[in-house]
Amino acid sequence: MTNLRIPFSLILLLWLLPLQPVSSQTPPAHAIINSTIHHADGSETESGSIVWRDGIIASIGRADSIEIPFDARIIDGGDSLHVYPGLVDGLALWGSPERSGPPERVDNPGEPGYERAGIQPDRLPSKLIQSSDEVFSNALKQGYTTALIGLEGYMLPGQTEIFFLHDNDTKSQIYREKIGFLFQFEPAPGGWGNRAYPTTTMGVMARFRQLLYDAEALMQHLDYYSESEPGMPVPQRDEVLEALFPILNQEKEIFFAADSKEDIERYLRLHDEFDLNSVIVSGGEAYRVSEELLERDIPVLASFNLPDPPEWYSTLREEGESEVPEVSGPEEERYRKRQLNSWLDRVKNIRSLLDAGVHVGFASNGLSLDDIQEKTNFLLDEGEITAGELLTIMTSSTSSILGISTHTGALREGMIANFSLWTNPTNEEEARILKTVSNGTIIQF
Amino acid sequence: MTLSKSKRYSISEQTYVCLRRAFLLTALILFHSGTADLRAQITGKPAYGDFAITNATVHTVTNGIIEGGVVLVEEGEITHVGSNVRVPDSVHRIDATGLHLYPGFIDSFTHLGLVEISAVPVTVDHRELGTHNPQVQAVTAINPHAVAIPVTRVGGVTTVISSPASSQVAGKAALIDLWGYTPEAMAVTERAALVVEWPSLPADTSNEDAMERYESQRDELDDYWQDAQFYESMISAYNQGEATTSRPERNLRLEAMREVVRGEIPVILRVNRERDILKALEWISNYPEISFLFQGVAEGWRVASRIAEAEVPVIVNTLYTPLRSYDNYQRPYQNPGLLAEAGVLVLLGTGETENVRNLLFEAGYAAAYGLGREEALKSITINPARAWGVEDRFGSIEPGKQANLVLTDGDPFEPSTHIHNVMINGYLIPMESRQQQLFEEFLDWDATR
Amino acid sequence: MTANYRQYSLFSTLFLAFFTLCSGTVSLSAQDGGSLLLRNATVIPVTGDDLPDTDIMIVDGLIQAIGQNLAAPEDIEVIDASDKYIMPGIVDAHSHLNSIGVNESSHPVTPEVTMAESIDPNSVAIYRALAGGVTTINLMHGSANVIGGRNVTLKLRYGRSQYDMIMEGAPQTVKFALGENPTRVHGQDSGVQPRTRMGVEQVIREYFDAAIDYRSKRDDYLAMKREYDQNPDGIPPVPVPENLRLEVILDILDGNIIVHAHSYRADEIFMLTRIFSDYGITGYTFQHANEAFKVAPELREAGAHASIFSDWWAYKFEVYYSTAYSATILNENEVVTSIHSDSNELIRHLNLEAAKSMRYGGTSENDAIRMITLNPAKQLGIDDRVGSLEIGKEGDLSVWSGHPLSIYSVNELTVIDGNIYFDRSSDPDDMRIRVSPSVDYHETEYSESIQDHHFRINSGLNQHQIEE
Repeated sequence: MTNLRIPFSLILLLWLLPLQPVSSQTPPAHAIINSTIHHADGSETESGSIVWRDGIIASIGRADSIEIPFDARIIDGGDSLHVYPGLVDGLALWGSPERSGPPERVDNPGEPGYERAGIQPDRLPSKLIQSSDEVFSNALKQGYTTALIGLEGYMLPGQTEIFFLHDNDTKSQIYREKIGFLFQFEPAPGGWGNRAYPTTTMGVMARFRQLLYDAEALMQHLDYYSESEPGMPVPQRDEVLEALFPILNQEKEIFFAADSKEDIERYLRLHDEFDLNSVIVSGGEAYRVSEELLERDIPVLASFNLPDPPEWYSTLREEGESEVPEVSGPEEERYRKRQLNSWLDRVKNIRSLLDAGVHVGFASNGLSLDDIQEKTNFLLDEGEITAGELLTIMTSSTSSILGISTHTGALREGMIANFSLWTNPTNEEEARILKTVSNGTIIQF
Repeated sequence: MTLSKSKRYSISEQTYVCLRRAFLLTALILFHSGTADLRAQITGKPAYGDFAITNATVHTVTNGIIEGGVVLVEEGEITHVGSNVRVPDSVHRIDATGLHLYPGFIDSFTHLGLVEISAVPVTVDHRELGTHNPQVQAVTAINPHAVAIPVTRVGGVTTVISSPASSQVAGKAALIDLWGYTPEAMAVTERAALVVEWPSLPADTSNEDAMERYESQRDELDDYWQDAQFYESMISAYNQGEATTSRPERNLRLEAMREVVRGEIPVILRVNRERDILKALEWISNYPEISFLFQGVAEGWRVASRIAEAEVPVIVNTLYTPLRSYDNYQRPYQNPGLLAEAGVLVLLGTGETENVRNLLFEAGYAAAYGLGREEALKSITINPARAWGVEDRFGSIEPGKQANLVLTDGDPFEPSTHIHNVMINGYLIPMESRQQQLFEEFLDWDATR
Repeated sequence: MTANYRQYSLFSTLFLAFFTLCSGTVSLSAQDGGSLLLRNATVIPVTGDDLPDTDIMIVDGLIQAIGQNLAAPEDIEVIDASDKYIMPGIVDAHSHLNSIGVNESSHPVTPEVTMAESIDPNSVAIYRALAGGVTTINLMHGSANVIGGRNVTLKLRYGRSQYDMIMEGAPQTVKFALGENPTRVHGQDSGVQPRTRMGVEQVIREYFDAAIDYRSKRDDYLAMKREYDQNPDGIPPVPVPENLRLEVILDILDGNIIVHAHSYRADEIFMLTRIFSDYGITGYTFQHANEAFKVAPELREAGAHASIFSDWWAYKFEVYYSTAYSATILNENEVVTSIHSDSNELIRHLNLEAAKSMRYGGTSENDAIRMITLNPAKQLGIDDRVGSLEIGKEGDLSVWSGHPLSIYSVNELTVIDGNIYFDRSSDPDDMRIRVSPSVDYHETEYSESIQDHHFRINSGLNQHQIEE
């Protein structure tokens, strides 16, 4: 800790200096020098420096090879601070309005209307998320800078859009709008006593198909109408169906959220049928369909939402064998063995996917930030994932799946300045975050 | 009263012979005894009188098998059993050559007569409201004309426990014969047992709310039992003139508990899971004066020796699915056999209402998967007779016992076997039920158009 | 199919060609078929007399030979089945054995959904059915809707993925439902027609007519669209969207999808025969059909089949006037009759359920076996492939310790496509495929309900009943 004291006070000092811009045209540059730079591919640059201006990384590399501009505000890491690329969340529900409460009973449950059925592909996060939600500053505090944001809901809860995180104005930090649709096998709310179509997975699948057929017809109608001489009936406009046109045109991704092998397999039928551009989100059991995913070149944005380990196994890990309740007999012994194997299979999901060659990124998909941290430990301890691989997954791999890897997700010259500064390597317990730079904006903690 | 048979029907000749024999036999006897034409009745009237069943293979249950045996029935009672019985001329002879005679089969747990159509609430009379209903009695609401009763008895089941059900103390079950025009006439024992639903431990014992609910159910039961014991001692004391105060207030429900806590009637505890069975065993050890039976006992095989040690008879069945996903598929079939092997007295009870006739098939499964044919037969004859305290009158073919008899053309557990005749309390029952009548009406109604 | 065909080795291709020549009924379905030689059993072929001391040889999933002292090819697994009985794999024409959802109950007409997208391949109930000798099931949609979802015919290939369980090439079937269930779910609960049996009839007719109208509109549109797209002249046609629901109904009307209609009362059964006669639909099956026996001659005339419970009755009003003799009456009236389970308990002993028809009315042994093999196979349109033991048919069978209609007989081996899926001599207790990591042992003691059929019967007016 002693060797930290000097550079740390230096940082604070530099930070507080009220520097004036040198020129009104050119905003000042910023630089972090003498820090360990952790790269998205797991490699490190010791005694590295990074310079950015206008939200873009101007130069990065070993400190002795980097020229620091005269107008740069400098943070000297004193060879003890650590820079990480900003984490990218492949699908976050941050700031989303909550799913509405118990729905109204519909007069005709078979035709409940789009909204009641959970069919809302026209909803946009950029219109609906609450920037004031503290989740954004919390995410920044954990080193996240970028997220594909979706909305909570049912079958088709809305579109997905990429944002840079901001502690109180993420909404304005939209980076890519309308890049895809979240889709899930979530029946319309209400349950048996207050049902509305669709009430089952097979119903959701059928409804999805019919929506695309209806959209196709409307698209054709609009198309014909635009070129028709007078006399053609006017198309009945429909915001929901029109929102789906890009799916038919194969312009946008479907982010399909599911965990079970069977649900993913079911979705693949739709993928094949409509030749969709697909990304699997969450994908807890995706390892069991890795071949099918690979065949179709479908990436997985894996959630770290792992099941809890067997209770007895937690006890074993935390308190030692002597504290584990004895088995009642061979039946329980067999049971425990299968239970643990089943858990380990799930924990090794990402490992298996990577080994199979599936493109894996990360998505929180509703998992809280605290839980992510906790589950990450399972991945590192039991999931056969290294810290470097984890970093890759949560940065460059995810941005590549989102199609933004040329601009963010790694620390290179010309990339967007998205990174965070830490006192220690993040896998060390005493690691504390000092700042996060998101789209060039510095957020200090 | 025979079936008309057009040529294109191919039911085996043997079956036809059997059916025809059964009907002819009944008709013949009815003619002799001067009763009315069967067809005038919804189900015909039975024949009553003195009978000699001759040339039968008699499965006495308690005294082995008698080939070419004769069983004499006089005034509703078995008077002679043997191979060399002199048959008086005055009795009706039933020639049972090639047939097998068994004592009437007993199902030790049903809701027969209490439920007509389970999905129609107004016809469902086995579930009274409230937690503690020791005062309600199945015998009150048993409908002697329930359509399921003839359907059941022509299948060979002559006697059943008909039981109420509820959340805890359900009421009193009756032991009834399946013949009679009033519940009283049917009742063998009006109040055969008190039925108690044992509170089940929650799935997750670390769930505090669920455990609290469980504990409160347990407390309720304990409290109720203690109230009953106190009430009983108070009333006995008063009745013996020891009391100095005025007559204690009468409590209808606790009054009904007096015979229970005094151990005069047994208690059926409905319990299935391993841990619940162990808890129940612990609980009943506090009441040595009461005879308990366990009903359900689906996981009895897991703790069979413990049940045997406590000498608790069990009422079990076989045709259900294993309780745990990792259980071997055969466990329900093996349960009766494993319990018997450990020394438990096994009775079979279907828990059914309209399909009590499947008792024989449940027994067949028990037999095939470890109980053995002989023990399986006992589990629906002499074992229940003993457990229900009517061993002197039921459960075997012996002189002095009530004439509950079943005549078959083979092993009654085999589905290919037909039940030819059924006698209950000396009444030769018409082999009719709505199901059989529909058969007669519709088998070849096309031929009559 | 051609692409799959190429995956065959030359050897098996030759065999297939051979069988195709011999029987003309061989399909290419038994993709991963195994080979097995069972020796010296009493074989119940169903289509003929029982064969004593007979061998059955399955090669690559298909029955290659039935006879005495068959020559064993090298490397074939040989099983001595002396003193055993071999019957065809049991076919259950009505089951909800393993699905994740049963009823798309929100609309009275939902043939657009399919149980092929609702399969749970992991349920241990599958193994328990295999232990009872069942090899094929009709995994059915529930009975909430007048025209329900499509069903899917599965082979119980336990351990394989959901789509590998689907019996390749089996015809599609669809669930209809008459009587109490649809009138309660939609009429009584939701205030949507039908509320009565009168309404049930009209809902069917309404949708049939709508489908016919849709076809002409859609066909017209497609024709005009083709024309317009080639020669864009004049006013373009207004698009008529493809309608999945009505497309399926058209398939029903065209005879491409077999109807399995949940029904109980004679009047409603008769009603449907009249509708179907009006629309030219044939080859359908009434499910449960507790009162079908009352219109047995009419069903024979209509060529309609019946798939029934052996003895269930009185659990609801519309089954009050039923009889366990129903199988015999229907069978004697030459209605193709099967005994189904509709229950994860009954499916464990369908041999017993079939055997009851002998007690109740004196059905012959052969006909009783037929009611759980060839007859249900006919009702599912797969009798050219399964349901009897004949050369060229698929190697689906079970081996019993005695005659399978005896209560004392125990199934010892269940074979599908020549592969063994149940073997009593190596039958571990824990046959789960999916194991929950988070549920500890002590929690499982109570986590699964006591699920016998009494549960459903006694549960009154709830969702379970709609699963019939």
